[in-house]
Amino acid sequence: MPTTLRARPPTAPTTPRRPRPPHWVLALALTGAASVVTILLLIGGYLVGGISGGTVDWITLLTSAEWSPAHGSFGALSMIFGTAAVGVLALALAVPVGWAAAIALTEYLPPRLARPLRTCVELLAAVPSIVYGLLGIMVIRPLISSVAHVPGGDSLLAAGIVLAIMIVPTVVAVSVDALSAVPDRYRESGYSLGLTRREVIRSAVLPLARTGMRAAVLLGLARALGEAIAVYLVVGRADGRLPDGIGGLLDALVRPGQTLTTKLAGPEPVLAGTSGPHFAALCGLGVLVLSLVAAATVWSTRVGGRRHEAGKPPTVRSASSLRVQQDRATAVLRLAALALPAVLLFAMLIILLAKGSTAFDPAFWFTPASGSAEGGVRDQILGTVLLMVTTGLIALPLGFGAGVLIGVRASARTARLLQTVTVVVGGTPTILLGLTGFVLLSGALGWGRSWLAGTLVLVPVVVPVVALSTSARVRGMPQELTESAMALGLSRSQYIRSVVIPYSWPATITGLLLGLARAAGETAPLLFTATVFFGAPALPGGVVDSPIQALPTHIFTLSQDSGDPQSMTQAWSSALALVMITAVLLSAAVALRNRREGERWTA
Amino acid sequence: MDSVISARDLRVSIGGKTLVGPVDFELPHGSTTGLCGPSGAGKSTVLRALVDLLPTGLVRTGELRVLGDPVRNGRAEAALRAKVVLVPQTPVVFGGSILDNALFGIRHVVRAPRQLLRERAELALQEAGLWEEVRDRLDVSAQVLSAGQRQRLCLARALALDPAALLLDEPTSALDERSRDTVEESVAALRGHRTVMLVSHDTSQVERLCDRTVHLGHLAEAQPSAALS
Repeated sequence: MPTTLRARPPTAPTTPRRPRPPHWVLALALTGAASVVTILLLIGGYLVGGISGGTVDWITLLTSAEWSPAHGSFGALSMIFGTAAVGVLALALAVPVGWAAAIALTEYLPPRLARPLRTCVELLAAVPSIVYGLLGIMVIRPLISSVAHVPGGDSLLAAGIVLAIMIVPTVVAVSVDALSAVPDRYRESGYSLGLTRREVIRSAVLPLARTGMRAAVLLGLARALGEAIAVYLVVGRADGRLPDGIGGLLDALVRPGQTLTTKLAGPEPVLAGTSGPHFAALCGLGVLVLSLVAAATVWSTRVGGRRHEAGKPPTVRSASSLRVQQDRATAVLRLAALALPAVLLFAMLIILLAKGSTAFDPAFWFTPASGSAEGGVRDQILGTVLLMVTTGLIALPLGFGAGVLIGVRASARTARLLQTVTVVVGGTPTILLGLTGFVLLSGALGWGRSWLAGTLVLVPVVVPVVALSTSARVRGMPQELTESAMALGLSRSQYIRSVVIPYSWPATITGLLLGLARAAGETAPLLFTATVFFGAPALPGGVVDSPIQALPTHIFTLSQDSGDPQSMTQAWSSALALVMITAVLLSAAVALRNRREGERWTA
Repeated sequence: MDSVISARDLRVSIGGKTLVGPVDFELPHGSTTGLCGPSGAGKSTVLRALVDLLPTGLVRTGELRVLGDPVRNGRAEAALRAKVVLVPQTPVVFGGSILDNALFGIRHVVRAPRQLLRERAELALQEAGLWEEVRDRLDVSAQVLSAGQRQRLCLARALALDPAALLLDEPTSALDERSRDTVEESVAALRGHRTVMLVSHDTSQVERLCDRTVHLGHLAEAQPSAALS
């Protein structure tokens, strides 16, 4: 029996007019994507432009150890050696500890104990590098000075240790993610075959988590190679030092040295101007750093995507009593490894609290600085807050737009390319952001050190974090959700507006808070674009022509004067204040993430 | 043209290789048609092919007409999906209240005052047999509903669009026995008023609810298999 369609309500015509599609969604996505690409093009343009502006003798740059702008000789071999040395040292110290601690955290500890520890590790990973630098000055340098008889203790070894401490939390956090992603049924089937815990980990868990744990190392390496400020404070910055043959290698480690990033963080970029052979050689260093770090970052995202290999069963079976003893031995070892980051955390906290106790005095937060190292840090906190607010306001829509585009069009080649670009921008050493900003904003546009310049160099720090956090959430959306929405006749932009955004905004905000926590501690970009060492007004007098104050650069300035106890007390207190600010941002992010984990839209 | 949907030589293929079909069928106005076949025969795939919601890589070929108008291979427009509405197997409840969910499709597709849209959504809830259970808690989060209620909410959401045809993909397979009965009742109540295509692996359910069936053969048998009972 054929029935006609029921009459539609009078105001709706037979072919109903559709509501106006939300065009702003598309505009936002494209703007976000364009911004990420533009950032990379600007950094690339600055480096390539700098190189083509003067002549770079690449052979000399890579093979000569003599760096002397006055004589026009630019050889970076000693800096390459320095970078390699601190990188290898940091990895050699951090990776075994980090891996073992991650295994202990996921496989040995009960969840009730492991969860707060995981949060602590994430907190530690977000501690600004300037604080690690301070730790290096106060604790590691004297240690090396007394053990290895190095005057002052400034050395490649000190830098390597500081970097190792800095990247352990990153290695642990990313490895823990990889390990806890292994489904429990693998462990269960291992135990049900009579394997000991050690054998289950070796044969069932590690083969599946291996790629993720390798990515953790590469991410840690990228962070170590790109770090400028923490290394700058302890490496000694001595040019032209190379080991005398293989035998002198160990000896060279306990001597002052120079790395690629510390050269760029020094005064030379400002002295070199924006053209000529000196500038070109510095850009050459920038290209070296960027390609090293970008290679490590991109590689780390690639290894994660590779197919998992099936775990090989252990071939040698030892006697059962021996197996149990081995099991116990490794358990002790791994738990001991876990103790190290925990001890580090508490040691850092105790040092911070002991040395920076002035930060608990409200007066320290609310009075302006006076003299060279007196008073409080009111203006620096205000400046940092101002920078964070404007950075967040600009980075949020851009990162969100790019993230949505990457997430929604995940299979398309352009989206994958855009993701790689985002990862590279996110991994760009921040010193390069600062130099790019310095050359473009101060040089080309004629801005002074200012609020807006500082904001613009911090935006590239935050945008990738927001974008990647958003895109991961969008890609994790259940397929049914998309299908249900599309089946009801939604257009693409309506689908993004009404399904994707409501589903993914908690991840976006989490990303924003994490990104801001990172940006709040950034020192290197602000040194060149936003702050001055002395004589800044309390509040910026203008948007582009008046310097602003900020906590990280304030700490940096104070720590230059490490002989003066008053300066150091002030530096530690400021560091504690900075850590407290980042901790607040970070705990908000963690809380938001934990809350939304329970949220489900499908049955 | 008497048929809401007519398909001739409809196939779903990947890289030139036919995965499902060819299949021919007509959905006359007001009919309830069952689409049967063994699991793996591609019942759900055929349903998705009708509204072009196939996974990436899969392509629909053959002739497809909706209300007499040919639908070109490739991307069916959003406007077409609002006319031929697919209700997927797993009930999805979007964030927001029960009313928000009932309004979800129509508010994106029809430009009309909110009050009018609300009336249509309420009518749809009645038609789906959910009204009595939710009438006094329309503003409550839809997450409180049971699985059977969720499935009927999805049905109401689709009915609010006043679709020319409704494609139900195994509407009861994710449900327990009691919820299954309530959903079956709702679907049975549509008989005669709505044009429905129902996918089910349960032949007794098809017998209970449908007045005609289309059989889909195995993947292996590449032969026309549209048999009308």
